[in-house]
Amino acid sequence: MLAGKDFRKIYNLSGGIKAWEKEVAVGPEDVGLHFFSSGTSSEEAIIAGFGLEMGLQDFYTSMQEKVTNESTKSLFGMLADIEILHQKRLIKLYVEITGVDISLEDFAKKIAEPAMEGGLTTEEYLQLYQTDFESEIEVLGLALAIEAQALDLYVRAAQGSKNREGYRKVLLQIAEEERNHIAKLSNYIDQHTDVR
Amino acid sequence: MKWMQFFTPISLINWEEAYELVQQYPTGDVTFLDVRQPKEYEGGHLPGAKLIPLGNLEGRLAELDKEKPIIIY
Repeated sequence: MLAGKDFRKIYNLSGGIKAWEKEVAVGPEDVGLHFFSSGTSSEEAIIAGFGLEMGLQDFYTSMQEKVTNESTKSLFGMLADIEILHQKRLIKLYVEITGVDISLEDFAKKIAEPAMEGGLTTEEYLQLYQTDFESEIEVLGLALAIEAQALDLYVRAAQGSKNREGYRKVLLQIAEEERNHIAKLSNYIDQHTDVR
Repeated sequence: MKWMQFFTPISLINWEEAYELVQQYPTGDVTFLDVRQPKEYEGGHLPGAKLIPLGNLEGRLAELDKEKPIIIY
């Protein structure tokens, strides 16, 4: 159908989604989009993104305190630190967009209530992924799933804002960050295939 | 012109080629088009995929960019 309508680069994915061996996202089309409703500005989108990163950092930090396995404990610490790096990247983007210089601490005060990255609640993630939090490989799998969910959310939000080019670009920049996070996390998992 | 579809190439690509293709473009430039039903999409979809069930596709073609790559599943 598309081929006969002037679409120039059409590809059929052989085997469909069942053949896909990378991360997938879950949930309906509109899950999490309330963070990026039609009245949201670029600045507010970055603040929302920051809140989602902060929520995930809080989650990792709380898990770090709960688990007993020392190596898993330090893995949660590392994942929480990565979220702080993500937050710094978002502040850099905020400064680029607004021209307003702001510290991480002051920026965090803009967040009314941290939510979990990707737009699902902590309970929803836990129900979906049934993770053994003492197992490093399972924790890494969960982290990867959350990043994929985040990428999904930002791209879907960008798709819904085609008439607002500046705003759309900001969402895609944040999505690009998420894609980079996924690549780094995947590399980390590949390099630590002996983790349990 | 219906005959055109017979002359417009549609490539079949495997998941690795699709993944590579996505990496070559800035985020958002390659569209994963999910033409399954909403419940199937909900159960799992490629990150950032756009859902247009096959039955609705003809009426929603304007939502897709004709110049950019589209990977259908």
